[in-house]
Amino acid sequence: MEQEGRYAVELIGINKTFPGGIQANKDITLRIREGEVHGLLGENGAGKSTIMNILYGFLSKDSGRIIIRGEEIEPKSPQDAIDRGVGMVHQHFKLIPPLTVTENVILGLEPASKKPDRDNSLAMISASLLVLFLMYFFLPPVEFLFSAAVLLVFLTVLIRPLQGIGNSATLARFGRLLGRLGSDVLPLGFDDAAKRIQRIADENGLLVDPYAIVQDLSVGLQQRVEVIKTLYREADILILDEPTSVLTPQEVDELFVTLETFKESGKTIILITHKLREPMALCDRISVLRDGALVGTVNKDETSAEELAQMMVGRPVVFTVEKPPATPGEIVLNVNDLKVEDHRGLPKVIGVSFQVRAGEILGIAGVEGNGQTELVEALVGLRKPSGGAIFVGDIHTTGKNPRFVREAGVSHIPEDRHRRGLILPFTVEENLILGQHYKPPFISMPGILALDTFGSISGELVEKYSIKTTGVDSFANTLSGGNQQKLIVARELESSPKLLIAAQPTRGLDVGATEFIHKTLISMRDQGVAILLVSAELDEIRSVTDRILVMFDGRIVGEKMSDETDAQELGLLMAGHLDGEEQTEAIN
Amino acid sequence: MSENRLQDTREPSNETQTSLLSRIQADVEQIRIKLVNIAEEAPRPIKPIIVAVAKLLTWTFWKPVIWAIFSVILAVITSAVIMELSGYNSSEAFIALITGALRQFDRVLFFSTPLIFTGLSVAFVFKSGLFNIGAEGQLYMGSMAAAILGYIIPLPYGVHPLVCLATGVLAGALWGFLPGLLKAYRGAHEVVTTMMLTYTAILFTQWLAAGPLKEPGEFQWNAQTARILETAELPTIWGNYLHAGFLVAIVCVIVVAFILNRTVMGYEMRAVGLNEAAAETAGINPKKNMALSLAIGGGLAGLAGASEVQGNLHRFYNLWSPGLGFDGITVAVLGSNNPFGCLLAAIFFGFLRAGGNAMHQQAHVPIEMVGVMQGLVVLFVAAPRLVQWMADQSLDYGKWFSVEKARPILFIFNMAIVLYGACFSFSLLGETQLGLAFIGISAAVSILSIAAFFLLFARNWRGIIVSLIVSMCWFALAVIGMGAGADTGFIFLVGLVQAVLSGLSLLLVKGVGQSKGGGA
Repeated sequence: MEQEGRYAVELIGINKTFPGGIQANKDITLRIREGEVHGLLGENGAGKSTIMNILYGFLSKDSGRIIIRGEEIEPKSPQDAIDRGVGMVHQHFKLIPPLTVTENVILGLEPASKKPDRDNSLAMISASLLVLFLMYFFLPPVEFLFSAAVLLVFLTVLIRPLQGIGNSATLARFGRLLGRLGSDVLPLGFDDAAKRIQRIADENGLLVDPYAIVQDLSVGLQQRVEVIKTLYREADILILDEPTSVLTPQEVDELFVTLETFKESGKTIILITHKLREPMALCDRISVLRDGALVGTVNKDETSAEELAQMMVGRPVVFTVEKPPATPGEIVLNVNDLKVEDHRGLPKVIGVSFQVRAGEILGIAGVEGNGQTELVEALVGLRKPSGGAIFVGDIHTTGKNPRFVREAGVSHIPEDRHRRGLILPFTVEENLILGQHYKPPFISMPGILALDTFGSISGELVEKYSIKTTGVDSFANTLSGGNQQKLIVARELESSPKLLIAAQPTRGLDVGATEFIHKTLISMRDQGVAILLVSAELDEIRSVTDRILVMFDGRIVGEKMSDETDAQELGLLMAGHLDGEEQTEAIN
Repeated sequence: MSENRLQDTREPSNETQTSLLSRIQADVEQIRIKLVNIAEEAPRPIKPIIVAVAKLLTWTFWKPVIWAIFSVILAVITSAVIMELSGYNSSEAFIALITGALRQFDRVLFFSTPLIFTGLSVAFVFKSGLFNIGAEGQLYMGSMAAAILGYIIPLPYGVHPLVCLATGVLAGALWGFLPGLLKAYRGAHEVVTTMMLTYTAILFTQWLAAGPLKEPGEFQWNAQTARILETAELPTIWGNYLHAGFLVAIVCVIVVAFILNRTVMGYEMRAVGLNEAAAETAGINPKKNMALSLAIGGGLAGLAGASEVQGNLHRFYNLWSPGLGFDGITVAVLGSNNPFGCLLAAIFFGFLRAGGNAMHQQAHVPIEMVGVMQGLVVLFVAAPRLVQWMADQSLDYGKWFSVEKARPILFIFNMAIVLYGACFSFSLLGETQLGLAFIGISAAVSILSIAAFFLLFARNWRGIIVSLIVSMCWFALAVIGMGAGADTGFIFLVGLVQAVLSGLSLLLVKGVGQSKGGGA
């Protein structure tokens, strides 16, 4: 018992196989000490999120044991984990945007108001009396059942204080059940909850207005709300799933400061990540997963980023992308004073002008949601700009439909590969011809598809881009994320474009696939293709591109040559801190 | 780029392929791959056939088929229970249904002809991601157009039917194109617009048939148009009923399958239906495809109306369709939106209808039972999670049974008695002379029994406790019934058997401890 007590969480021999035969966890044994920050590092698909979701009760394990503070549990739902002080902040926030911070935080354990509403109680008592009266005169079972139900509700209001009392588990469960029934009909105690949220926020330095609407908050603040949500449930084992993937460098620093304070107050933190910098900056110990198996657990002091990377990928990794100097040619994309509105009619891109030349990679850096999505959609014809002009070569493509823009020589790697990039229920070959399907060699006569050529051509592409699949007729949703992205890259590059617009092409991909896509982009550049790379990853922008534009709030706030700038400077620009030089550039 | 070859993360592991189902799947897959390899080398004329056979061996093909068959079996079982509860002889009824349908197979195909068209209509539109709820309206428009063309202009044999059918298609297509346009360019939801246009169509044709186009005659009470000319009729091809519309339907099935799978238009429509945003990104115009697919779907429904008028009714009657357009939705659901699936589903429904009369005459089961069966089939097809759950539980049961014998067998007996008890107590609800308490407890028993059945089915030990409670209720029923002067020995017996069974199971569960099988 003493031996076990030192660990906050023990996961012993966890196995998990998903339907479809993917073994996500292979006999993983993890021991997380009380009060440490434990990094869980691995590529995408290594099984990091799976094992934490098993701990949190979202997924069921096939075999293995879960021990939280010496108590062995079989979590059936997250409630089991929450009851034992485990809290999880998911990569994709589980918030309801139109509700306030308080409403989001109390979701699932809505507190009934301490002082029952007097009018409400009176109404309920009079209703019960009325029903009793009716019951007296008309005895048939329908009325009897109805009145019994109303009486039960009335009783639960009185019995609700019971839920706290009683050492007997049965009595406690009974009380909780009645209390649950009662709280469904009682008014909510919002103000008490808001006060408590405010207190938690103040204590932990997580400044948030409890009455703010979540959709008005920035992504960093929304993450804070998620953290507060776990603290409100009195979690002291915090699981953070890729918390930095949506934050600016400055917000990441703030998050790290918060996590430091948690650590000092004795909380145990498990940090899931695929970025090497973060565990090295924050964690005490780091466990590395690869292919669903545990590679090893190391102390931070005894390791290096290189060693971790090697553990993660299984081979030495080159961090810098090798890149010969660019030789820009004629202007391929010319954007002049472009204005774009989003679907609500709010201006999202405000007077943006730039050029991309053949044989260069232009990067657009910026925190997500600063107009990059709308800019790209306008460039590829998915959204009509409200002003300005776009020229691809000599062709005027402003406000034209996507097929026209494609015909003009533009390829597009969309930022959301599941929503815009692929048709997941289509097969690999059907996805590979998407966008080219109406032209030879994919048609045998006008309007009739040539099914024979599908297979051979897509077979070649699968080979050339080393897309790992069981066959060209398997469905795209059976591919892993990296291979899905390679499929899109293969399709978009095979149309031999003049201009390639790549939006977040490596998002969520592991080191190997990222490397592949970066190399492909650079080799395309060297063949004289103009490339516009939109990315929120500063490292990617800096290592791959030749020239960087920084977008903030719909405007371009800075232009830098990639080899003359650093992460600090770009980070400040992304957060909207302009210095004198950039302001003049922005005006130009 | 060969140096960029990745070590990708996921490899299919052999360990997972343990269950029988996946072993069979793997074997079939092996055969399929062999066939594909043979096809590569086969001479040109045989190659497509081998490829087609190889396609038939995939799980994606068999899954909906097995699903549909499973649903039909479940529906048959459920309707048998309903028939037994209502006091009919279910085996006699089913024999009458099957023999009646087989004896008049032309009637089966005759009933299925309009359903093939409307099923195709709904399925085709669904492939592009839209719901065509209004096939009924398109069918009325098509039938009216065909009826008008049928008697207004004289044309030679051979040409006249085709012209009439074409007009029906056009009218239906127009009635589908309108909501398509509204959907594509105004965002009006097609479920609402097609539904509303159905009522418009029914009332419009009613007005035409009762007003301007009413059949002339001194005392013509029925709202109907004049009879179409003989030249416009579709000939009868088999038996007394089946007309050439059936052949047109078969052609339509093949054409629709071809459009969907082999043409650029079909490819674009499927792309739009599965992921509109991705299709748009790839340069496909979703609006055009939506409007077009609703128009084609409308045309198919119009063809249903036209072929019925030309082959069967020979004139337009007011409100002639018994909901053929709406039945198209159920056909499409059962056929999982596959053209050939729709053909089979429509023939199945035609079979039910043709057999329904015989069932009514010989077993005296009301003809409405056919509707009940039809609805149950669709319910089971459309509730995949229910069926999936039951299939999973059954598989788990099999696994449990292979590990140990005593408890699963006891559970199965317990489930059987509980299920029997549910039906039995349901039938006791009619014994009103035994008093209110008797009825009330009977109702409680039937509800609790069903709950116990599902708990036991899910191998939840609480099911045993519920079953024990139910057995107590049986004793109570026996006592109350005896008090009211009825012979309740049988009820007592049921309670006793159930009490013994569930008591034994409870002892076993507690005795062995909560292992994987019985643990909750």
